[in-house]
Amino acid sequence: MGTLTMGCFSSLVGSKSLDFALKLAKAAADKGHKVNFWLSGNATVVGKAHQKHLKDYSTGEKPVMELLEKGVEICECEACALARGIQKPDAIPGIQWNAMHWYLAKIYSSDRVLHIGGE
Amino acid sequence: MKLGVFINDYKNTVETVDRLKADKLGFIFIQNGVFHATLKENGKPSSLLDRTTNLYVLSEDLATRGLTNSDVDSRVKVVTYGDVVDLMFNDYEKLAWL
Repeated sequence: MGTLTMGCFSSLVGSKSLDFALKLAKAAADKGHKVNFWLSGNATVVGKAHQKHLKDYSTGEKPVMELLEKGVEICECEACALARGIQKPDAIPGIQWNAMHWYLAKIYSSDRVLHIGGE
Repeated sequence: MKLGVFINDYKNTVETVDRLKADKLGFIFIQNGVFHATLKENGKPSSLLDRTTNLYVLSEDLATRGLTNSDVDSRVKVVTYGDVVDLMFNDYEKLAWL
């Protein structure tokens, strides 16, 4: 088994890239790989707790919690989150908060890296 | 180097692709990139399909757009998320996102 680190620099909840990244992370974790997931920019919104699950509307809280239960390490860009009015107590429990060096350190210790740019 | 490229949009990325040098090059069409594997403009398939023989399209993103396997160019293999993970770890040592 290997280690995969992904960085998601995409748009808000409901974005195609973020949705893809969440599903790919689950698929990799289901196959026994170690997965690290860096959330940057607007993608940090997916880490906010107490998202309302509206009918026919994409939310990220449930898949994020499933990933955490599978042992996926998820980290928010602290500056990106704070800039969007999200404080650490607002985050889904288990999500880490850190700066870009967390992502860089994970990249250097990974077998595969997928850097997903903005939409 | 074996390079896997995720193509997530239906736009002309040929110039960018031409600058990618790899011993083995693979394209994984996802999101709106699946249209490269399914649409023909003026009767011609996407020119990206001529760039390599290692072509994959994500089945879930086909279904989301009302497309089926029968809509896919015969050169492109339909894959699942699990297959994509295997491609990433077994077939391509470097990954890019276009």
